[in-house]
Amino acid sequence: MRRSLVIALVVLLGGCYSAPDPKAAGSGGPSTLAGAPAQSFDLRRTDGRVDSLAAHRGQVVLMNLWATWCPPCREEMPALEGFARAYAGRVVVLSVDQGEAASVAAAFARERGVTFPILVDENQQYGRTYQGVGLPTTVIVGRDGHVVRGIDGAMTLEQMRAAVAPALAPPGPRAVSR
Amino acid sequence: MNSRIAALVVGAIAIGLVLAQDLAPRTPLYHTWQYALSLAIALAVLLAYANGVRRGDDGVVGKRLLVAVAGAAVVICGGLAAGLLGPDTASVVGTPGTVVPIPALGAAAFFAPADAAAVARGDAIVTLRRREGAALEVGARGRPLGESLLYLDPRPAAYIEAWDEHGAHLTVTQPTSASFLSPVLAFRQQQRIGEFDVPYDTFATPSLHRVFRALYFTPRDLAAFPRAVEDKTHPAVILYAADDRGAQLGITFAPSGKDVTIAGVRVRATLGTYPALAIAAAPPAWALVTGIALFVAGIGWSASRRTARGTPREPQAQGV
Repeated sequence: MRRSLVIALVVLLGGCYSAPDPKAAGSGGPSTLAGAPAQSFDLRRTDGRVDSLAAHRGQVVLMNLWATWCPPCREEMPALEGFARAYAGRVVVLSVDQGEAASVAAAFARERGVTFPILVDENQQYGRTYQGVGLPTTVIVGRDGHVVRGIDGAMTLEQMRAAVAPALAPPGPRAVSR
Repeated sequence: MNSRIAALVVGAIAIGLVLAQDLAPRTPLYHTWQYALSLAIALAVLLAYANGVRRGDDGVVGKRLLVAVAGAAVVICGGLAAGLLGPDTASVVGTPGTVVPIPALGAAAFFAPADAAAVARGDAIVTLRRREGAALEVGARGRPLGESLLYLDPRPAAYIEAWDEHGAHLTVTQPTSASFLSPVLAFRQQQRIGEFDVPYDTFATPSLHRVFRALYFTPRDLAAFPRAVEDKTHPAVILYAADDRGAQLGITFAPSGKDVTIAGVRVRATLGTYPALAIAAAPPAWALVTGIALFVAGIGWSASRRTARGTPREPQAQGV
């Protein structure tokens, strides 16, 4: 009887054994960041001033990660400039060059007539933190300092307008409990 | 008497085996059938002893020792549950500065930013942020969380910096990785070279149309190198360069932190480690605490009887 119990116990436990199934999680791209607190790093701009995402807390920010060697980034730049002009005072446009020297980014900005600030991120801190899976990457940050949306790839002016619209919308009426 | 000592020794060994899950969580032993079988045999021995005591085989001391047997059984069941029913050890891999959600724990892992110095030191930490409860910093020693044990699993890493021939900093990308814009290589793949399984990774400097493969050699690997390598006490990489159409452009040996020029690009690879977060099933703390407390109390109780009265008096057999 006792022996049978032991055998039954061993068989039962053996049946519970599950084969190894190692799982690994990785970064899921910028679209997975919606709702997360927006992380910020102090960087020098091409005009020599220090700027960061956190410096614009309380404002809606459109952050664009790009590089001069990236063809879609260059193609997107006129739309970004148009957006910055159209939304001046309502949305802060921060352009963050990934990995290049300040002189390279500054020369590009002069050549293209870019008026919005360009931050020089030689160590690609914003790029890796916002899980850029390519360039350009655009991140919309709300007034509360949280990511509203992360977008991979070049955008048109209309797509930029649509992307910031939720962040610019006035807060909805609060429910009143009786 | 012999069965009593055997039960206590088996109980103590089994408790030690289960405690080892917390003390040395990196060992893959706990999810093996051999580990489960050992604990199952220990449990069977304890149950057999308890059955004998129930029949009156070991007198009053034996009955008091049932408390210790119960304690060991609680610990063993906790260990078996963690080893057999708990999930297998999982690794959460993140790049420096990123947040990776872990739905199973209702938390997100924040991988600390790391510059070249942090990679070289290998002291980056991971912080677990839960919806409820304080942030939990995970360091080199494991941290229990519910029925899981969290610990860091250091892995080879390299912080890559690149400049063109004029000294202008270049963007470093990882075209074949989800961490496209991270200059930290995680060496997730391996290549067999001779007798070595060498971790490797790839990166690119797109502005100059260069793609590099970096093969990571530990000091131990370097010590076995037939050719003279100046410094075999630190890790190094061998860099292969190609253009973005795959044409080979060169190969060079790059010691950690030293600048080398290859295919028109000055590259500095600072080598070290960056952790992945490992999540292992662990016996619940309450089971360990309760079980060990009962085990010790049971032994103490039976010993006190022996001390107070010398050899304990066995109950008289009663005829019917």
